[in-house]
Amino acid sequence: MEAIMFFILALMSVGGALGVLISKNPYRAAMWMVLSFFGIAGLFVMLHAQFNAMLQIIVYAGAIAVMIMLVMMVMDRRTIEGLKRFNPQPIWPALIGVALLADLGFIAYKFKIDLSNAGKNLTLNGSNTQMIGEVLFKHYLLPFEVTAIILLVALIGAVVLTKKDIN
Amino acid sequence: MLTGYMVVSALLIAIGATGVMIRRNFMIVLMSLEIMINGAGMLLVVMSYYLGNVSGQVMFIFVAAVAASETAVGLAIAVMMYKRKKSVDVNDFSILRK
Repeated sequence: MEAIMFFILALMSVGGALGVLISKNPYRAAMWMVLSFFGIAGLFVMLHAQFNAMLQIIVYAGAIAVMIMLVMMVMDRRTIEGLKRFNPQPIWPALIGVALLADLGFIAYKFKIDLSNAGKNLTLNGSNTQMIGEVLFKHYLLPFEVTAIILLVALIGAVVLTKKDIN
Repeated sequence: MLTGYMVVSALLIAIGATGVMIRRNFMIVLMSLEIMINGAGMLLVVMSYYLGNVSGQVMFIFVAAVAASETAVGLAIAVMMYKRKKSVDVNDFSILRK
């Protein structure tokens, strides 16, 4: 049962990624990307990471996909749909991608760790969210604050990049 | 099972990297970047499960925050270049070349 669920969700995520790679229409590519994100969220649920599954759906499939779709909405539809699909000479980047896949797959195949701790220590009082909150605000408080500043600076940078020039 | 999860992550990273290198449309390049970052974050969650340590899941939150800010800046660059060139083709994005 678990293997069947894993297969379906892995097919969803990898198939969505392949749809982004080969679809010509960018709106359809965004929808394929959302499908891929939902598949990954399902895999997170299988890995007992319920909080991260919800975060994946809200942040990636919600915020980021909507942000990309809104920016495509304000552009001219014919301009962004009429582009050719691939760069000239697409064979060399594809070969680099296959080589990267072979490299990472080799590492995944050779990788061996002690699996006796699998699935333990992920919950506190039966709640994954509570455990993440404990670790995040006890051990990772400074990186959390720095990440907040990174988000603020990135949004200010986006506003500065897109505003009209002041003469 | 661990190998299966790692192979899915490797496939996501490789497909995302190929999409960044191969596509012309800057919007789809940004989407491929998202998929690549998501593959790396998924590897963090997988290792968090199999090592029995919740720190990997916490790091995924930081990865998601960095991905969101990167998308915001990338879309701002896309809008700026669209205003200047009326195109989202990455081959037109070479104003610094001359």
